[in-house]
Amino acid sequence: MSETTLTRTDRSMPTARLLRRRRRPPTATVVCVVLLALGTVGMLAPFAYMLVTALKSAQHAYDLPPDWYPKEFHWQNFTDAINGPLPLLRNLWNSAFIAAITTLGMLITAPMAGYAFAHLRFPGRNGLFVLLLAALMVPIQVTVIPLFLIMRNLHLINTPWSLILPQVTGAFGVFLMRQFFLSVPRELFEAAKVDGANEWTIYRAVALPLVKNGLSALGILTFLTSWNAYFAPSIFLNSQDSATLPLALVLMRGPFSTGQINVIMAATTFAVVPAFIVYLIAQRWIIAGLTSSAVKG
Amino acid sequence: MAAGAGDRRRHREARAGYLFVAPSLLGFIVFVLGPLIAVAYFSFTRYDVLTSPQFAGLANYRRLLTDARLHAVYLNTVLYVVAAVVLINGFALVLAVLLHQRMPHFLTLIFRSVYFFPSLVSLVYISLIWQALFQHDTGLVNYYLGQVGVGPQSWLNSTSLSRWTVVVVDVWRNLGLAMLIFVAALQDVPAELEEAAQIDGAGPITTFRKIIMPMISQAIFFNVTITVIGAFQIYESVIVLTNGGPGDSTRSVVMYLAERAFSDFQIGYASAIAMTLFVVILTATLIQFRLRRSWVHYE
Repeated sequence: MSETTLTRTDRSMPTARLLRRRRRPPTATVVCVVLLALGTVGMLAPFAYMLVTALKSAQHAYDLPPDWYPKEFHWQNFTDAINGPLPLLRNLWNSAFIAAITTLGMLITAPMAGYAFAHLRFPGRNGLFVLLLAALMVPIQVTVIPLFLIMRNLHLINTPWSLILPQVTGAFGVFLMRQFFLSVPRELFEAAKVDGANEWTIYRAVALPLVKNGLSALGILTFLTSWNAYFAPSIFLNSQDSATLPLALVLMRGPFSTGQINVIMAATTFAVVPAFIVYLIAQRWIIAGLTSSAVKG
Repeated sequence: MAAGAGDRRRHREARAGYLFVAPSLLGFIVFVLGPLIAVAYFSFTRYDVLTSPQFAGLANYRRLLTDARLHAVYLNTVLYVVAAVVLINGFALVLAVLLHQRMPHFLTLIFRSVYFFPSLVSLVYISLIWQALFQHDTGLVNYYLGQVGVGPQSWLNSTSLSRWTVVVVDVWRNLGLAMLIFVAALQDVPAELEEAAQIDGAGPITTFRKIIMPMISQAIFFNVTITVIGAFQIYESVIVLTNGGPGDSTRSVVMYLAERAFSDFQIGYASAIAMTLFVVILTATLIQFRLRRSWVHYE
Protein backbone atom coordinates (compact mmCIF):
# COMPACT_ATOMS: atom_id res chain seq x y z
CA MET A 1 0.00 0.00 0.00
CA SER A 2 2.73 2.46 0.89
CA GLU A 3 4.63 2.18 -2.37
CA THR A 4 1.75 3.70 -4.34
CA THR A 5 2.36 7.22 -3.06
CA LEU A 6 4.76 8.48 -5.65
CA THR A 7 2.94 7.23 -8.67
CA ARG A 8 -0.66 7.61 -7.62
CA THR A 9 -1.43 10.41 -10.04
CA ASP A 10 0.56 8.93 -12.88
CA ARG A 11 -1.05 5.56 -13.17
CA SER A 12 -4.61 6.63 -13.65
CA MET A 13 -5.43 3.89 -16.18
CA PRO A 14 -4.34 0.40 -15.26
CA THR A 15 -5.26 -2.26 -17.78
CA ALA A 16 -7.98 -3.81 -15.67
CA ARG A 17 -9.83 -0.54 -15.40
CA LEU A 18 -9.38 0.21 -19.08
CA LEU A 19 -11.04 -3.10 -19.93
CA ARG A 20 -13.84 -2.55 -17.48
CA ARG A 21 -14.46 0.97 -18.67
CA ARG A 22 -14.78 -0.06 -22.25
CA ARG A 23 -17.78 -2.18 -21.39
CA ARG A 24 -19.69 0.76 -19.88
CA PRO A 25 -22.55 2.15 -21.96
CA PRO A 26 -21.56 5.48 -23.52
CA THR A 27 -24.80 7.19 -22.36
CA ALA A 28 -23.53 7.04 -18.76
CA THR A 29 -20.34 8.79 -19.86
CA VAL A 30 -22.29 11.50 -21.66
CA VAL A 31 -24.48 12.11 -18.60
CA CYS A 32 -21.41 12.35 -16.36
CA VAL A 33 -19.61 14.75 -18.69
CA VAL A 34 -22.70 16.95 -19.02
CA LEU A 35 -23.22 17.10 -15.24
CA LEU A 36 -19.57 17.90 -14.61
CA ALA A 37 -19.57 20.51 -17.36
CA LEU A 38 -22.63 22.23 -15.83
CA GLY A 39 -20.79 22.38 -12.52
CA THR A 40 -17.71 23.93 -14.09
CA VAL A 41 -19.84 26.92 -15.11
CA GLY A 42 -20.48 27.56 -11.43
CA MET A 43 -16.80 27.09 -10.61
CA LEU A 44 -15.49 29.36 -13.36
CA ALA A 45 -18.10 32.16 -13.30
CA PRO A 46 -16.68 33.95 -10.21
CA PHE A 47 -13.20 34.01 -11.74
CA ALA A 48 -14.60 35.21 -15.06
CA TYR A 49 -16.44 37.98 -13.21
CA MET A 50 -13.18 38.91 -11.49
CA LEU A 51 -11.23 39.15 -14.76
CA VAL A 52 -13.90 41.02 -16.69
CA THR A 53 -14.55 43.49 -13.86
CA ALA A 54 -10.81 44.06 -13.41
CA LEU A 55 -10.76 45.42 -16.97
CA LYS A 56 -13.82 47.67 -16.68
CA SER A 57 -13.90 51.41 -16.30
CA ALA A 58 -15.51 52.79 -13.13
CA GLN A 59 -18.67 53.90 -14.91
CA HIS A 60 -19.38 50.44 -16.34
CA ALA A 61 -18.19 48.39 -13.36
CA TYR A 62 -21.70 47.71 -12.09
CA ASP A 63 -23.45 47.31 -15.45
CA LEU A 64 -26.25 44.77 -15.62
CA PRO A 65 -26.70 42.47 -17.42
CA PRO A 66 -23.07 41.58 -16.77
CA ASP A 67 -20.51 40.98 -19.51
CA TRP A 68 -18.87 37.56 -19.54
CA TYR A 69 -16.04 38.61 -21.79
CA PRO A 70 -14.15 41.90 -21.62
CA LYS A 71 -15.63 44.62 -23.84
CA GLU A 72 -13.22 47.26 -22.63
CA PHE A 73 -9.63 46.97 -21.50
CA HIS A 74 -9.14 49.46 -18.74
CA TRP A 75 -5.61 48.36 -17.81
CA GLN A 76 -5.32 51.47 -15.72
CA ASN A 77 -7.13 49.60 -12.90
CA PHE A 78 -3.97 47.62 -12.30
CA THR A 79 -1.75 50.70 -12.02
CA ASP A 80 -4.43 52.36 -9.90
CA ALA A 81 -4.38 49.36 -7.55
CA ILE A 82 -0.59 49.41 -7.28
CA ASN A 83 -0.39 53.19 -6.88
CA GLY A 84 -3.39 53.36 -4.59
CA PRO A 85 -3.35 54.28 -0.91
CA LEU A 86 -1.77 50.90 -0.04
CA PRO A 87 1.82 49.92 -0.86
CA LEU A 88 0.64 46.89 -2.81
CA LEU A 89 4.02 45.91 -4.26
CA ARG A 90 5.48 46.10 -0.77
CA ASN A 91 2.64 43.86 0.47
CA LEU A 92 3.29 41.46 -2.38
CA TRP A 93 6.97 41.35 -1.42
CA ASN A 94 6.05 40.71 2.24
CA SER A 95 3.85 37.78 1.24
CA ALA A 96 6.53 36.35 -1.04
CA PHE A 97 9.31 36.79 1.53
CA ILE A 98 7.35 35.18 4.36
CA ALA A 99 6.22 32.28 2.17
CA ALA A 100 9.70 31.70 0.71
CA ILE A 101 11.58 31.69 4.04
CA THR A 102 8.88 29.57 5.69
CA THR A 103 9.08 27.05 2.86
CA LEU A 104 12.86 26.95 3.00
CA GLY A 105 12.80 26.31 6.74
CA MET A 106 10.14 23.65 6.43
CA LEU A 107 12.13 21.90 3.68
CA ILE A 108 15.07 21.68 6.07
CA THR A 109 13.33 20.64 9.29
CA ALA A 110 10.48 18.37 8.17
CA PRO A 111 12.41 15.89 5.95
CA MET A 112 15.05 15.41 8.68
CA ALA A 113 12.43 14.51 11.25
CA GLY A 114 10.40 12.50 8.74
CA TYR A 115 13.48 10.45 7.85
CA ALA A 116 14.34 9.83 11.50
CA PHE A 117 10.78 8.73 12.32
CA ALA A 118 10.71 6.44 9.28
CA HIS A 119 14.15 4.84 9.28
CA LEU A 120 16.24 5.55 12.37
CA ARG A 121 15.81 3.57 15.58
CA PHE A 122 15.99 5.43 18.85
CA PRO A 123 14.30 5.00 22.23
CA GLY A 124 11.04 6.95 22.48
CA ARG A 125 10.64 7.27 18.73
CA ASN A 126 6.98 6.30 18.55
CA GLY A 127 6.06 8.34 21.61
CA LEU A 128 7.68 11.45 20.16
CA PHE A 129 5.96 10.91 16.83
CA VAL A 130 2.52 10.64 18.43
CA LEU A 131 3.25 13.76 20.49
CA LEU A 132 4.19 15.65 17.35
CA LEU A 133 1.09 14.40 15.54
CA ALA A 134 -1.05 15.71 18.37
CA ALA A 135 -0.01 19.18 17.21
CA LEU A 136 -2.32 18.68 14.23
CA MET A 137 -5.20 19.03 16.69
CA VAL A 138 -3.95 22.39 17.97
CA PRO A 139 -4.77 25.03 15.34
CA ILE A 140 -3.09 28.40 15.64
CA GLN A 141 -6.44 29.91 16.64
CA VAL A 142 -6.12 28.13 19.98
CA THR A 143 -2.56 29.25 20.73
CA VAL A 144 -2.67 32.69 19.13
CA ILE A 145 -2.84 34.59 22.42
CA PRO A 146 0.45 33.27 23.89
CA LEU A 147 2.05 33.43 20.43
CA PHE A 148 1.10 37.09 20.22
CA LEU A 149 2.63 37.71 23.66
CA ILE A 150 5.83 35.85 22.66
CA MET A 151 6.16 37.91 19.49
CA ARG A 152 5.47 41.12 21.40
CA ASN A 153 8.16 40.32 23.96
CA LEU A 154 10.63 39.51 21.19
CA HIS A 155 9.65 42.78 19.42
CA LEU A 156 8.67 40.82 16.33
CA ILE A 157 5.15 42.21 15.92
CA ASN A 158 4.84 43.89 12.49
CA THR A 159 7.83 41.93 11.21
CA PRO A 160 7.74 38.93 8.87
CA TRP A 161 9.46 36.82 11.55
CA SER A 162 6.35 36.72 13.72
CA LEU A 163 4.79 34.59 10.98
CA ILE A 164 7.89 32.73 9.83
CA LEU A 165 9.13 31.40 13.18
CA PRO A 166 6.01 29.45 14.22
CA GLN A 167 5.67 27.96 10.72
CA VAL A 168 9.18 26.75 9.85
CA THR A 169 8.50 23.52 11.71
CA GLY A 170 5.25 21.65 11.61
CA ALA A 171 3.62 18.33 12.24
CA PHE A 172 2.00 18.11 8.81
CA GLY A 173 5.36 18.34 7.06
CA VAL A 174 6.95 15.72 9.32
CA PHE A 175 4.00 13.39 8.81
CA LEU A 176 4.02 13.87 5.04
CA MET A 177 7.77 13.31 4.71
CA ARG A 178 7.64 10.24 6.93
CA GLN A 179 5.05 8.78 4.54
CA PHE A 180 7.34 9.39 1.58
CA PHE A 181 10.39 7.95 3.35
CA LEU A 182 8.43 4.87 4.42
CA SER A 183 7.80 4.09 0.74
CA VAL A 184 11.57 3.83 0.18
CA PRO A 185 12.90 0.33 0.94
CA ARG A 186 15.10 0.24 4.04
CA GLU A 187 17.73 -1.87 2.31
CA LEU A 188 18.86 1.13 0.26
CA PHE A 189 20.08 2.85 3.41
CA GLU A 190 21.35 -0.33 5.05
CA ALA A 191 23.78 -0.87 2.17
CA ALA A 192 25.27 2.59 2.64
CA LYS A 193 25.45 1.97 6.38
CA VAL A 194 27.43 -1.22 5.91
CA ASP A 195 29.82 0.76 3.72
CA GLY A 196 30.52 2.86 6.81
CA ALA A 197 28.82 6.10 5.75
CA ASN A 198 27.60 8.23 8.67
CA GLU A 199 23.92 8.98 9.18
CA TRP A 200 24.07 12.54 7.86
CA THR A 201 25.80 11.43 4.65
CA ILE A 202 23.26 8.66 4.13
CA TYR A 203 20.44 11.14 4.64
CA ARG A 204 21.88 13.79 2.32
CA ALA A 205 23.34 11.59 -0.40
CA VAL A 206 21.02 8.58 -0.43
CA ALA A 207 17.69 9.32 1.26
CA LEU A 208 16.85 12.89 0.19
CA PRO A 209 17.29 12.34 -3.57
CA LEU A 210 14.86 9.43 -3.33
CA VAL A 211 11.99 11.61 -2.07
CA LYS A 212 12.23 14.52 -4.51
CA ASN A 213 8.51 14.24 -5.23
CA GLY A 214 7.77 14.49 -1.54
CA LEU A 215 9.98 17.55 -1.18
CA SER A 216 8.24 19.22 -4.11
CA ALA A 217 4.82 18.47 -2.64
CA LEU A 218 5.84 19.71 0.81
CA GLY A 219 7.44 22.85 -0.60
CA ILE A 220 4.46 23.84 -2.69
CA LEU A 221 1.88 23.11 -0.01
CA THR A 222 3.88 25.05 2.59
CA PHE A 223 4.28 27.97 0.21
CA LEU A 224 0.58 28.10 -0.66
CA THR A 225 -0.52 27.77 2.97
CA SER A 226 1.67 30.70 3.92
CA TRP A 227 0.75 32.72 0.82
CA ASN A 228 -2.97 32.31 1.55
CA ALA A 229 -2.91 32.82 5.32
CA TYR A 230 -5.06 35.52 6.83
CA PHE A 231 -5.74 34.75 10.50
CA ALA A 232 -2.23 34.94 12.00
CA PRO A 233 -1.14 37.85 9.76
CA SER A 234 -4.25 39.78 10.80
CA ILE A 235 -3.16 39.46 14.45
CA PHE A 236 0.61 39.85 14.15
CA LEU A 237 0.79 42.51 11.42
CA ASN A 238 -1.08 45.74 11.91
CA SER A 239 0.68 48.31 9.79
CA GLN A 240 0.20 48.90 6.07
CA ASP A 241 3.91 48.46 5.43
CA SER A 242 4.16 45.07 7.12
CA ALA A 243 0.82 43.75 5.78
CA THR A 244 0.71 40.75 3.49
CA LEU A 245 -1.29 40.75 0.27
CA PRO A 246 -4.51 39.23 1.70
CA LEU A 247 -4.52 41.82 4.51
CA ALA A 248 -3.87 44.61 2.03
CA LEU A 249 -6.79 43.56 -0.14
CA VAL A 250 -9.20 43.56 2.79
CA LEU A 251 -7.91 47.02 3.78
CA MET A 252 -8.29 48.20 0.21
CA ARG A 253 -11.90 47.13 0.06
CA GLY A 254 -12.50 49.18 3.21
CA PRO A 255 -14.58 48.33 6.27
CA PHE A 256 -17.83 49.33 4.54
CA SER A 257 -16.94 48.02 1.09
CA THR A 258 -16.32 51.55 -0.13
CA GLY A 259 -13.43 50.61 -2.42
CA GLN A 260 -13.94 50.71 -6.19
CA ILE A 261 -14.90 47.25 -7.33
CA ASN A 262 -12.99 47.34 -10.63
CA VAL A 263 -9.76 48.36 -8.88
CA ILE A 264 -10.32 45.76 -6.13
CA MET A 265 -10.91 43.05 -8.74
CA ALA A 266 -7.72 44.16 -10.51
CA ALA A 267 -5.84 43.74 -7.23
CA THR A 268 -7.56 40.38 -6.64
CA THR A 269 -6.55 39.22 -10.12
CA PHE A 270 -3.02 40.32 -9.29
CA ALA A 271 -3.20 38.08 -6.19
CA VAL A 272 -4.93 35.05 -7.76
CA VAL A 273 -2.73 34.77 -10.86
CA PRO A 274 0.39 33.60 -8.93
CA ALA A 275 -1.65 30.77 -7.39
CA PHE A 276 -2.85 29.84 -10.87
CA ILE A 277 0.70 29.77 -12.25
CA VAL A 278 1.89 27.68 -9.30
CA TYR A 279 -0.97 25.26 -9.92
CA LEU A 280 -0.20 24.94 -13.65
CA ILE A 281 3.46 24.21 -12.98
CA ALA A 282 3.09 22.05 -9.91
CA GLN A 283 -0.32 20.37 -9.92
CA ARG A 284 1.26 16.91 -9.99
CA TRP A 285 3.07 17.40 -6.70
CA ILE A 286 0.23 19.33 -5.09
CA ILE A 287 -2.14 16.46 -5.77
CA ALA A 288 0.38 13.79 -4.75
CA GLY A 289 1.09 15.59 -1.49
CA LEU A 290 -2.54 16.12 -0.56
CA THR A 291 -3.80 12.67 -1.46
CA SER A 292 -0.93 10.67 0.00
CA SER A 293 -1.55 12.14 3.44
CA ALA A 294 -5.20 11.20 3.20
CA VAL A 295 -5.33 7.73 1.83
CA LYS A 296 -2.80 6.29 4.19
CA GLY A 297 -3.49 7.05 7.83
CA MET B 1 33.91 -7.48 19.36
CA ALA B 2 31.13 -7.73 16.78
CA ALA B 3 28.54 -6.99 19.44
CA GLY B 4 30.55 -3.91 20.46
CA ALA B 5 30.54 -2.58 16.89
CA GLY B 6 26.80 -3.20 16.64
CA ASP B 7 26.26 -1.40 19.91
CA ARG B 8 28.29 1.55 18.74
CA ARG B 9 26.37 1.71 15.50
CA ARG B 10 23.04 1.54 17.31
CA HIS B 11 24.23 4.26 19.64
CA ARG B 12 25.26 6.45 16.74
CA GLU B 13 21.93 5.85 14.99
CA ALA B 14 19.98 6.83 18.11
CA ARG B 15 22.02 10.02 18.52
CA ALA B 16 21.42 10.90 14.86
CA GLY B 17 17.70 10.22 15.38
CA TYR B 18 17.46 12.70 18.24
CA LEU B 19 19.45 15.32 16.33
CA PHE B 20 17.27 14.90 13.25
CA VAL B 21 14.00 15.38 15.13
CA ALA B 22 15.40 18.14 17.38
CA PRO B 23 14.44 21.19 15.23
CA SER B 24 10.87 19.97 14.73
CA LEU B 25 10.58 19.02 18.37
CA LEU B 26 11.93 22.39 19.48
CA GLY B 27 9.44 24.18 17.23
CA PHE B 28 6.66 22.04 18.66
CA ILE B 29 7.63 22.82 22.27
CA VAL B 30 8.11 26.57 21.77
CA PHE B 31 5.25 27.31 19.39
CA VAL B 32 2.62 24.65 20.18
CA LEU B 33 3.04 22.90 23.52
CA GLY B 34 4.29 25.93 25.46
CA PRO B 35 1.55 28.25 24.15
CA LEU B 36 -1.05 25.55 24.81
CA ILE B 37 0.04 25.34 28.46
CA ALA B 38 0.12 29.14 28.63
CA VAL B 39 -3.38 29.51 27.24
CA ALA B 40 -4.64 26.95 29.76
CA TYR B 41 -2.97 28.99 32.54
CA PHE B 42 -4.33 32.34 31.28
CA SER B 43 -7.83 30.88 31.20
CA PHE B 44 -7.72 30.82 35.03
CA THR B 45 -6.58 34.43 35.31
CA ARG B 46 -7.67 37.99 34.79
CA TYR B 47 -5.16 39.54 32.43
CA ASP B 48 -5.15 42.73 30.34
CA VAL B 49 -1.54 42.56 29.02
CA LEU B 50 -0.54 45.79 30.83
CA THR B 51 -0.55 44.39 34.37
CA SER B 52 0.53 40.85 35.25
CA PRO B 53 -2.09 38.06 35.29
CA GLN B 54 -4.23 37.77 38.46
CA PHE B 55 -5.48 34.34 39.45
CA ALA B 56 -9.24 34.32 39.03
CA GLY B 57 -10.20 30.70 39.63
CA LEU B 58 -13.08 29.55 37.50
CA ALA B 59 -14.48 33.04 36.89
CA ASN B 60 -13.78 32.93 33.14
CA TYR B 61 -15.37 29.52 32.81
CA ARG B 62 -18.46 30.66 34.72
CA ARG B 63 -18.70 33.56 32.31
CA LEU B 64 -18.60 31.12 29.38
CA LEU B 65 -21.79 29.58 30.67
CA THR B 66 -23.69 32.87 30.93
CA ASP B 67 -22.33 34.73 27.87
CA ALA B 68 -25.28 34.77 25.47
CA ARG B 69 -23.14 36.21 22.66
CA LEU B 70 -20.71 33.31 22.98
CA HIS B 71 -23.58 30.86 22.77
CA ALA B 72 -24.84 32.60 19.64
CA VAL B 73 -21.44 32.50 17.92
CA TYR B 74 -21.00 28.86 18.91
CA LEU B 75 -24.37 28.05 17.37
CA ASN B 76 -23.31 29.78 14.14
CA THR B 77 -20.04 27.86 14.14
CA VAL B 78 -21.72 24.51 14.75
CA LEU B 79 -23.98 25.28 11.79
CA TYR B 80 -20.89 26.03 9.66
CA VAL B 81 -19.31 22.76 10.76
CA VAL B 82 -22.36 20.56 10.17
CA ALA B 83 -23.15 22.23 6.84
CA ALA B 84 -19.53 21.96 5.72
CA VAL B 85 -19.27 18.29 6.66
CA VAL B 86 -22.52 17.32 4.95
CA LEU B 87 -22.39 19.57 1.89
CA ILE B 88 -18.67 19.52 1.11
CA ASN B 89 -18.36 15.76 1.47
CA GLY B 90 -21.69 15.04 -0.22
CA PHE B 91 -20.96 17.16 -3.28
CA ALA B 92 -17.34 16.01 -3.34
CA LEU B 93 -18.32 12.35 -3.32
CA VAL B 94 -20.80 12.84 -6.17
CA LEU B 95 -18.21 14.77 -8.19
CA ALA B 96 -15.57 12.12 -7.50
CA VAL B 97 -17.86 9.31 -8.66
CA LEU B 98 -18.73 11.25 -11.83
CA LEU B 99 -15.07 12.01 -12.44
CA HIS B 100 -14.18 8.35 -11.94
CA GLN B 101 -16.26 7.30 -14.95
CA ARG B 102 -14.74 6.56 -18.30
CA MET B 103 -14.20 9.71 -20.35
CA PRO B 104 -11.41 11.17 -22.47
CA HIS B 105 -8.37 11.75 -20.29
CA PHE B 106 -8.11 15.48 -21.07
CA LEU B 107 -11.68 15.98 -19.81
CA THR B 108 -10.79 14.29 -16.51
CA LEU B 109 -7.81 16.60 -16.15
CA ILE B 110 -9.78 19.74 -16.98
CA PHE B 111 -12.69 18.91 -14.66
CA ARG B 112 -10.36 17.98 -11.82
CA SER B 113 -8.45 21.23 -12.20
CA VAL B 114 -11.53 23.42 -12.45
CA TYR B 115 -13.14 22.02 -9.30
CA PHE B 116 -9.92 21.84 -7.33
CA PHE B 117 -8.34 25.18 -8.17
CA PRO B 118 -10.40 27.35 -5.73
CA SER B 119 -9.02 25.27 -2.85
CA LEU B 120 -5.60 26.74 -3.63
CA VAL B 121 -6.75 30.36 -3.63
CA SER B 122 -6.84 32.33 -0.38
CA LEU B 123 -10.33 32.40 1.10
CA VAL B 124 -9.86 36.18 1.35
CA TYR B 125 -9.76 36.57 -2.44
CA ILE B 126 -12.59 34.10 -2.96
CA SER B 127 -14.72 35.99 -0.44
CA LEU B 128 -13.94 39.36 -2.05
CA ILE B 129 -15.24 38.05 -5.37
CA TRP B 130 -18.35 36.46 -3.86
CA GLN B 131 -19.08 39.54 -1.80
CA ALA B 132 -19.39 41.49 -5.04
CA LEU B 133 -21.57 38.75 -6.58
CA PHE B 134 -23.88 38.70 -3.55
CA GLN B 135 -24.52 42.48 -3.41
CA HIS B 136 -28.22 43.28 -3.09
CA ASP B 137 -28.63 45.74 -5.97
CA THR B 138 -25.53 45.31 -8.10
CA GLY B 139 -24.75 41.65 -7.53
CA LEU B 140 -24.98 39.06 -10.28
CA VAL B 141 -26.67 36.47 -8.06
CA ASN B 142 -29.75 38.62 -7.53
CA TYR B 143 -29.69 39.70 -11.19
CA TYR B 144 -29.89 36.11 -12.45
CA LEU B 145 -32.45 35.18 -9.80
CA GLY B 146 -34.52 38.09 -11.11
CA GLN B 147 -34.26 36.64 -14.62
CA VAL B 148 -35.98 33.47 -13.42
CA GLY B 149 -38.56 35.36 -11.41
CA VAL B 150 -37.09 35.18 -7.90
CA GLY B 151 -37.02 38.46 -5.99
CA PRO B 152 -33.75 39.94 -4.71
CA GLN B 153 -32.39 38.36 -1.53
CA SER B 154 -30.45 40.08 1.20
CA TRP B 155 -27.48 37.69 1.02
CA LEU B 156 -25.08 39.69 3.13
CA ASN B 157 -27.40 41.57 5.41
CA SER B 158 -30.01 39.22 6.76
CA THR B 159 -30.03 37.63 10.19
CA SER B 160 -31.45 34.40 8.78
CA LEU B 161 -29.89 34.14 5.32
CA SER B 162 -26.36 35.51 5.67
CA ARG B 163 -24.95 32.57 7.57
CA TRP B 164 -25.95 30.37 4.63
CA THR B 165 -24.07 32.75 2.35
CA VAL B 166 -20.97 32.00 4.43
CA VAL B 167 -21.70 28.29 4.03
CA VAL B 168 -22.09 28.61 0.25
CA VAL B 169 -18.72 30.31 -0.12
CA ASP B 170 -17.03 27.80 2.17
CA VAL B 171 -18.49 24.82 0.32
CA TRP B 172 -17.72 26.29 -3.09
CA ARG B 173 -14.11 26.85 -2.13
CA ASN B 174 -13.37 23.58 -0.34
CA LEU B 175 -15.26 20.87 -2.19
CA GLY B 176 -12.47 20.43 -4.75
CA LEU B 177 -9.95 19.30 -2.16
CA ALA B 178 -12.35 16.72 -0.71
CA MET B 179 -13.18 15.59 -4.26
CA LEU B 180 -9.50 15.09 -5.02
CA ILE B 181 -9.08 12.86 -2.00
CA PHE B 182 -12.15 10.81 -2.90
CA VAL B 183 -10.88 10.40 -6.47
CA ALA B 184 -7.56 9.07 -5.18
CA ALA B 185 -9.40 6.64 -2.91
CA LEU B 186 -11.68 5.46 -5.72
CA GLN B 187 -8.64 4.76 -7.89
CA ASP B 188 -7.43 2.39 -5.18
CA VAL B 189 -10.60 0.26 -5.28
CA PRO B 190 -9.68 -2.86 -7.28
CA ALA B 191 -11.76 -3.03 -10.45
CA GLU B 192 -12.15 -6.81 -9.98
CA LEU B 193 -14.14 -6.27 -6.80
CA GLU B 194 -16.69 -4.09 -8.54
CA GLU B 195 -16.91 -6.53 -11.43
CA ALA B 196 -17.40 -9.48 -9.13
CA ALA B 197 -20.28 -7.67 -7.44
CA GLN B 198 -21.88 -6.83 -10.76
CA ILE B 199 -21.54 -10.40 -11.98
CA ASP B 200 -23.28 -11.49 -8.79
CA GLY B 201 -26.18 -9.29 -9.83
CA ALA B 202 -25.62 -6.25 -7.60
CA GLY B 203 -26.93 -2.98 -9.07
CA PRO B 204 -24.80 0.16 -9.12
CA ILE B 205 -26.26 1.50 -5.86
CA THR B 206 -25.75 -1.75 -3.97
CA THR B 207 -22.24 -2.04 -5.39
CA PHE B 208 -21.50 1.48 -4.24
CA ARG B 209 -22.90 0.99 -0.75
CA LYS B 210 -21.58 -2.50 -0.06
CA ILE B 211 -18.29 -2.53 -1.96
CA ILE B 212 -17.04 0.98 -2.66
CA MET B 213 -18.14 2.81 0.51
CA PRO B 214 -16.26 0.44 2.83
CA MET B 215 -13.19 0.60 0.59
CA ILE B 216 -13.06 4.40 0.67
CA SER B 217 -14.12 4.73 4.32
CA GLN B 218 -10.66 5.89 5.32
CA ALA B 219 -10.85 8.77 2.84
CA ILE B 220 -14.33 9.64 4.16
CA PHE B 221 -13.02 9.84 7.72
CA PHE B 222 -10.04 11.90 6.64
CA ASN B 223 -12.27 14.35 4.76
CA VAL B 224 -14.74 14.61 7.62
CA THR B 225 -11.91 15.29 10.06
CA ILE B 226 -10.35 18.05 7.97
CA THR B 227 -13.72 19.65 7.19
CA VAL B 228 -14.65 19.66 10.89
CA ILE B 229 -11.33 21.17 11.96
CA GLY B 230 -11.40 23.62 9.05
CA ALA B 231 -14.96 24.79 9.67
CA PHE B 232 -14.31 25.38 13.38
CA GLN B 233 -11.63 27.84 12.24
CA ILE B 234 -13.89 29.85 9.91
CA TYR B 235 -12.74 33.45 10.12
CA GLU B 236 -11.68 35.38 7.04
CA SER B 237 -14.70 34.56 4.91
CA VAL B 238 -16.97 35.99 7.62
CA ILE B 239 -14.73 39.06 8.04
CA VAL B 240 -14.88 39.81 4.33
CA LEU B 241 -18.49 38.85 3.59
CA THR B 242 -20.41 40.23 6.57
CA ASN B 243 -17.89 41.20 9.27
CA GLY B 244 -19.91 39.03 11.64
CA GLY B 245 -23.20 40.83 11.13
CA PRO B 246 -25.92 41.66 10.98
CA GLY B 247 -25.73 41.62 14.77
CA ASP B 248 -23.85 38.45 15.64
CA SER B 249 -25.75 36.36 13.13
CA THR B 250 -22.69 35.23 11.16
CA ARG B 251 -19.91 35.76 13.72
CA SER B 252 -17.73 32.69 14.31
CA VAL B 253 -16.10 31.54 17.55
CA VAL B 254 -12.64 32.43 16.27
CA MET B 255 -13.78 35.96 15.39
CA TYR B 256 -15.31 36.39 18.83
CA LEU B 257 -12.15 35.05 20.48
CA ALA B 258 -9.91 37.43 18.50
CA GLU B 259 -12.13 40.40 19.34
CA ARG B 260 -12.13 39.64 23.09
CA ALA B 261 -8.35 39.11 23.06
CA PHE B 262 -7.08 41.82 20.75
CA SER B 263 -9.78 44.52 20.84
CA ASP B 264 -10.86 44.27 24.50
CA PHE B 265 -7.62 42.77 25.88
CA GLN B 266 -9.63 40.33 27.99
CA ILE B 267 -6.81 37.81 27.67
CA GLY B 268 -8.14 35.56 30.46
CA TYR B 269 -11.62 35.25 29.05
CA ALA B 270 -10.41 34.89 25.46
CA SER B 271 -8.09 32.11 26.65
CA ALA B 272 -11.04 30.29 28.19
CA ILE B 273 -12.81 30.54 24.81
CA ALA B 274 -9.67 29.19 23.13
CA MET B 275 -9.70 26.27 25.55
CA THR B 276 -13.29 25.42 24.61
CA LEU B 277 -12.25 25.46 20.95
CA PHE B 278 -9.33 23.16 21.74
CA VAL B 279 -11.51 20.72 23.69
CA VAL B 280 -14.16 20.68 20.95
CA ILE B 281 -11.62 20.00 18.19
CA LEU B 282 -9.86 17.40 20.33
CA THR B 283 -13.15 15.64 21.09
CA ALA B 284 -14.28 15.68 17.47
CA THR B 285 -10.95 14.19 16.39
CA LEU B 286 -10.94 11.50 19.08
CA ILE B 287 -14.53 10.47 18.34
CA GLN B 288 -13.57 10.02 14.73
CA PHE B 289 -10.51 8.00 15.62
CA ARG B 290 -12.70 5.72 17.71
CA LEU B 291 -15.38 5.35 15.03
CA ARG B 292 -12.71 4.82 12.44
CA ARG B 293 -11.29 1.87 14.34
CA SER B 294 -14.60 0.06 14.26
CA TRP B 295 -15.73 1.04 10.75
CA VAL B 296 -12.80 1.48 8.49
CA HIS B 297 -11.79 -1.34 6.23
CA TYR B 298 -8.01 -1.75 6.07
CA GLU B 299 -6.42 -3.60 3.22
